[in-house]
Amino acid sequence: MGTERLLVPLSRSPTVRQTVAYAVQSGLESSPETLSCHLVVAVPYEADVPEEQEALDEARSLLERAVTWVKEDAAGTEATVECETAVLGSDEYLFGPKDYARTFQAYAEEHDIDRLVLDPEYQPGATAPILQPLERELARCSLPFTEAPVERPAQHERLTGTASWSRFLSLFGISFAFYLILGDPTYWFDLVTGTAVGLIVAVTLSHVTFSTAPTFPESPIRVLRLVVYVPYLIFEIIKANILISLVILRPSMPINPRMTQVNARVRSGLPLLALANSITLTPGTLTVRANDQRLLVHTLIDDAREDLFDGGLERAIRFVFHGRESARIPTPRERGDTEILNGGSDE
Amino acid sequence: MIETVRFWAIIILLALGVFFTFVSAVGVLRLPDVYARAHTASQTDTLGAGLALAAVAVALGWQHATVYTVLLLFFVFITNPTAAHAIARSAAEMDIQPWTADETNDSSGPNLEADDGSDLEESTDGFDGGESR
Repeated sequence: MGTERLLVPLSRSPTVRQTVAYAVQSGLESSPETLSCHLVVAVPYEADVPEEQEALDEARSLLERAVTWVKEDAAGTEATVECETAVLGSDEYLFGPKDYARTFQAYAEEHDIDRLVLDPEYQPGATAPILQPLERELARCSLPFTEAPVERPAQHERLTGTASWSRFLSLFGISFAFYLILGDPTYWFDLVTGTAVGLIVAVTLSHVTFSTAPTFPESPIRVLRLVVYVPYLIFEIIKANILISLVILRPSMPINPRMTQVNARVRSGLPLLALANSITLTPGTLTVRANDQRLLVHTLIDDAREDLFDGGLERAIRFVFHGRESARIPTPRERGDTEILNGGSDE
Repeated sequence: MIETVRFWAIIILLALGVFFTFVSAVGVLRLPDVYARAHTASQTDTLGAGLALAAVAVALGWQHATVYTVLLLFFVFITNPTAAHAIARSAAEMDIQPWTADETNDSSGPNLEADDGSDLEESTDGFDGGESR
C-alpha cells in the first residue's frame, strides 16, 4: 500500500495553515512513497443563492493557497505528493454538522480516502461554531479522522482585542439608551446614573451578549432594516389573526392541522431565532422544533400553511440581515424545502 | 371634537382587544389538542394585548409613560413566542401526536363520508351535528 490518501477540509480559520502542514507531515510519515492530499472546501449554500458567489470565490482562493502550502511542505522530501482540490456542497444546502459529515463521507467513499484530517478550528461558512458536533457526527461515520494538533495562536487574543471594543461600545450604547428611555433624558441625575449603569453592564456582560461582534456600518443598517420589518410583521400578524379568528368562531371550525417541515435559508443564531420567533408570533403557524435550519412547524389552517410555504417571513428576515439582494430567493415551495409530515415528531 | 375622536378610538381599540382575547379563549376551549391550542394562546398576546396597549397609549396621550407601553409590547412580542414554542416543544418531546382532521373526520363536515371506521363516524355524528348547528 504505497499511497496514502488524505482528506483535509479547509476553512478560513487561524489554524488552517498548521492543519495543512500536519496533514502533509503525518501523511509522509505513514507512507513515504506517495501522498495524495484532497483539499476540500465545503460551502453551506447552493450556487444560486446570491451570497454564494462570494463564498465560492473565497473557497477557490483558499484552495489555491492551500495547494502552494502543500508544495512548500513537501519540497524537501523525495516522495510524490499529489494535490486534488474540490468545492463540496455547491449543489445542495448544508444545514448542520450532520450534513457536513455526510458530504465528507460521500467524497471519501468516491475517492477512496484513508483518513480525514480535521482542523480544530474548522468553521465552515460564517455560522456558529460546529466543531464539537461535527466530531461526534464523524465518529458515527465509518470514516477515520484525526484532529490536527495545532497550537492555538495568539490570534485569538488579537481577535477579541479589536472585537471587544465594538461589543463594549454597542452594549454600553444600548443599555445607556434604554436607561434614558425609562428615565428622563434631560435630567442630569439620570444621565450620570445612566452612564454608571451602562458602564457596569458593558464591563460585566459585553463578552456574553453578542455571539458575533457588531461591525460598524452593518449592524446599525440591520437595526434600520428591522424597523422596516416590524410593520410588515404586524401586518402579517393582523392578517393571520383575522383568518384564525374567523376559523375559530365558525361553528364547523374548518381547521386542518398538519405538522410540516420547512428548511429555512437563514443563518443559525440570531437570524434563525428571529425567523422562528416571527413564525410563532403569527397565529396559525407554530415552531415546534429547530434542528439546525430544519424547522418543524405546526400549521393550523391551509391558508397559514400556504403563507409559510410562500416564505414571506423568511425573505423578510433575509432582507433584515443581508440586504435586499439576498431577499430575492425562490420560495421554499419552489426549492422543494417543504414537507408535510402527518406523523408527530421527527426521528 | 378631537376629544370625542380620541374617546371613540380608545373604545374601539379596547373592544377589538377584548374581542381577540375572547376569540383566543374560545379557541383554547374548542381546538382539539395542545399544538392547536398553543396557536390561539398567542393571539391574546399579539392582538389582544397589542390593541389594549394601543388603547392605553392613546388614553395617556403624548407623554413619557406612552413609551413604556410600546416597550411593554416589544417585550411581549419577544417572550410570547418563546413560551408557545416551549410548550409545543415539550409536547413534541413527550411524543404527543398532533391531531389531524383525517383521523376522526369530524371537522371536515358531516357530508364527507368516511371509508374506514364507519362505526366511529356514527358515534361522532351526533356530537358533530350538535356542534355545527
